[in-house]
Amino acid sequence: MGITQILFWILAITAIFSALMVVISKNPVYSVLWLIVTFFTISGHYILLNAQFLAVVNIIVYAGAIMVLFLFVIMLMNLNKETEPQKSKWLKLAGAVAGGCLLLVLVAGLRHTEKQMTEMVTGDIGLIQNLGKVLFKDYVVPFEISSILFLSAMVGAVVLGKKEPRIPVETEMRKVEETQQAINI
Amino acid sequence: MNALIFSAVSGVIMMFSSFLLNNKNSVRVLAHVLLLATIIANIFELRGISFFHIDTRGMLEFDRFALLFTLVANVCTFAFFLLSSRDLEKIGNHYSDYFSLLFFILAGIVVSSSFKSLLMLFLGIEILSIPLYILTGSDKRNLKSNEASLKYFLMGSFSTGLMLMGIALIYGATGTFQTGITVAEKVPVLLITGMMLLLFSMSFKVSAAPFHFWTPDVYDGAPTVVTSFMATVVKAAGFIAFMRLFAEEFGSIRPEWKLLVGIVAAVTLFIGNITAVFQQSVKRMLAYSSISQAGFMMLAIYSLSNDAKEGLILYAAAYSLATIGIFAVLVRMKDYTFEGFNGFAKQQPFLAGILVVFLLSLAGIPLTAGFLSKFYMLKATIDGGSLALAIFAVLMAAVSVYYYFRLIQSMYFKTGNATISGTTTGFKYTLAALAGITILLGIFPNLLTNWLYF
Amino acid sequence: MFSLEGITKSLQDWLYLNFNPTWALVIECLIVIVLAIALFAFLGLVLVLMERKVAAHMQIRLGPNRVGPKGMFQTAADTLKLIMKEGLTPDGADKFLFNLAPFVVMIVAMLILAPIAFAKGFQIWDINIGVLYVSAISSLSVIGILMAGWASNNKYSLLGAMRSGAQIVSYELSAGISILCIVVLSGSLSINEIIASQQNGWWLFKGHIPVIIAFVIFMIAVTAETNRAPFDLAEAESELTAGFHTEYSGMKFALFFLAEYINIFIVCAIGATLFLGGWMPFHIGNWQDFNHIMDYIPSSIWFFGKTFFLIFLIMWFRWTFPRLRVDQLLNLEWKYLLPISLFNLLLVTVIAIFGWHF
Repeated sequence: MGITQILFWILAITAIFSALMVVISKNPVYSVLWLIVTFFTISGHYILLNAQFLAVVNIIVYAGAIMVLFLFVIMLMNLNKETEPQKSKWLKLAGAVAGGCLLLVLVAGLRHTEKQMTEMVTGDIGLIQNLGKVLFKDYVVPFEISSILFLSAMVGAVVLGKKEPRIPVETEMRKVEETQQAINI
Repeated sequence: MNALIFSAVSGVIMMFSSFLLNNKNSVRVLAHVLLLATIIANIFELRGISFFHIDTRGMLEFDRFALLFTLVANVCTFAFFLLSSRDLEKIGNHYSDYFSLLFFILAGIVVSSSFKSLLMLFLGIEILSIPLYILTGSDKRNLKSNEASLKYFLMGSFSTGLMLMGIALIYGATGTFQTGITVAEKVPVLLITGMMLLLFSMSFKVSAAPFHFWTPDVYDGAPTVVTSFMATVVKAAGFIAFMRLFAEEFGSIRPEWKLLVGIVAAVTLFIGNITAVFQQSVKRMLAYSSISQAGFMMLAIYSLSNDAKEGLILYAAAYSLATIGIFAVLVRMKDYTFEGFNGFAKQQPFLAGILVVFLLSLAGIPLTAGFLSKFYMLKATIDGGSLALAIFAVLMAAVSVYYYFRLIQSMYFKTGNATISGTTTGFKYTLAALAGITILLGIFPNLLTNWLYF
Repeated sequence: MFSLEGITKSLQDWLYLNFNPTWALVIECLIVIVLAIALFAFLGLVLVLMERKVAAHMQIRLGPNRVGPKGMFQTAADTLKLIMKEGLTPDGADKFLFNLAPFVVMIVAMLILAPIAFAKGFQIWDINIGVLYVSAISSLSVIGILMAGWASNNKYSLLGAMRSGAQIVSYELSAGISILCIVVLSGSLSINEIIASQQNGWWLFKGHIPVIIAFVIFMIAVTAETNRAPFDLAEAESELTAGFHTEYSGMKFALFFLAEYINIFIVCAIGATLFLGGWMPFHIGNWQDFNHIMDYIPSSIWFFGKTFFLIFLIMWFRWTFPRLRVDQLLNLEWKYLLPISLFNLLLVTVIAIFGWHF
């Protein structure tokens, strides 16, 4: 067993364990931290596949930016164990059965795939040069179209996040009343 | 490609328009002009003249079906603009941004109706959904709108997750993102799993039955103008994407999913119609009615024939026009419940008459577009070999007559003081034109469907 | 001639001759770890003393001068004191995260060392995307800080951590973009190739105006990223006692303290690599005699000299500018630095596309 394989097993086991801990942890802060660990292990897998660029981008985007914002929000909300809503026993059972079924199907699906589909270390598609060529030659249209997606998300962030100028008191009161009525219904 | 680029660029222009034009009216006029330009550009492409020659490497294919649906969606949006753009401005202060989000949605519609690659399907569906999440929550001071937006966002991103996982599994099984798989004799389990996940997520996007739970709350909570758009054009676009996906990608493994889609269609019809009967609010009733209409559109995916294709386009047009019309009136009503419409015919006989046309079309009464589109669906279903499903659909259509006629009943046969505000003459004529189109399509459906061939 | 490259090369040859590859790799790893820790300890001692001496110089006083000649062992004495202190864990704190946080911060700081070229051919991991790796990992230190702030169960700590998080996440953008300017010009993400591209002149002195703008933005951004004054809102002592490490004491506090200085060293090393040519000696055009003399100075001295110059610059900032308010801080980034650096990147890209650079 070479060092690559040892690393693979360590990473794989850590990945599964930390992914499970994300779900199991009672405290949301712990969940997020375990999720960060999961992303790290996935980045490790990328490095084993010689896809260093993907590994680093995975860290920048997920662990560095998105998860930090998650942590931010969760810490500011100060969620505690008590605020977690109590789910009924049956719902939990149903969830477990459904998840188990999915697991079963996926295991069945993956069992019959060809082995050795991955190229350890030797593959070089993950290197930035090749990736750039693929992205800007073969996949340039989706790349450009995704700019529409990001632009719309940005416009949305402005629409939702920007402070509205103060509206006259009467309209505000009316809106508050409407909302209260809506809640009462 | 014309429509895609035009609508994306229009979105960008609208984005900047609010600080270049400081007048609401000019922003609105600009939006109308841009949309008209998009429609004209699309008609050019439908006639074979494309302004842009971009090598998409087979990821997008602008066939007549896609182009025609893009045209239908654009025209419906134009009708929506004509009827409701003033109400759109009332949601909040970012009126130009709302228009720009709508244009981005249109760009998403083009992508998701002309994809040839699963990657594009994902992008198209996302471009459709993300602006909608935002528009749903655009009434920031209304808690219901906030709740609806959050609910929609959470559920929507979950279903997007399912879709991505499905795409990943299909990629694992076939090694390509391009649609049009060829299967030897035994279908790999991985492919079936991926297909199921895609089926679930697409059913979610079009609010087909076991995945419809978000629909009433979101449609009810969103600002009514936005509901009008997302219950019609966007939902129809979802169906076009759905149909394209299952016709092109999974057409060769049809026996594997036919029964399942049939069941989904039946359940959608049942739940949508039965629940709609019990609603007290017209807005909520329309939300459930959109679910039941989704059940009818599922029949097209079940049968996948040429008739079904024509029918789906016709259905999209008929359903969108009628629903946009009803919503345009509903926005202006003071009371959204059935009682709020009591005595409406006495006060506004003209508007009430037009509403009746729309309701009849939704219920599928002959001489309206709704009838013919339902007819196409049923014909396709029977040709597809399932008489039982067609009979069940007819039964459910009969149930739907109840709640559509309930609105007619309260307009004509009950006394009350329905109050409506802000109906200009232009608004009335536009509505009348929509009603005219609805009847015209009900008599000459070829006006629309012929575009598929010539 | 004495060169670090030769030493490492002969060591590696010797290891691979005497052990099988796996064990050789393990032993190399151990050596690297020992060296890294030694470097950290050394840097901690030197930088803290340097900070105090620079501060004293700026304020026209003597600074530490009792322990050892000219106060040179002052930091060692301080460290000894911190080690002897009891490491308190507050009662309401989340014990596990509270104790984990300082180590996370330290480990992140250690990870960044990997692609830095300390001298010619003296590099732990020549990754082909070194610069990107550095900016990726350096964005992680905020996780440790957030952990510390939250786990302390203290309002000051939480506020400090939140501020620090907002600050690091936002300033990362303009730091990243100014790094990209150099990447665009040199056409590579690998640290070695970026240094090699400065063979005939450091980027800062080649006379590209956008590079100078990028350098200024980079220095501002990294000062903010390392939570240094005038951007030290995360631990603003007049408002938040000590920010996210209010509750820490003893060795755990020392780790935070050390990590801060290590981070300064690292960002300055990156700045020196990108803008000042890393270990590349100073050359003037075709003046061969002068260039040869410069080549005689070992590359490691060039590297450390440039890095310490930048560190001095950052320390200088501390005693020159008053602390910003939190909204001013965010305004500065989002309304000024980010647009400027985006425009700057555009400019650099245009220059690179038309081949106007040299």
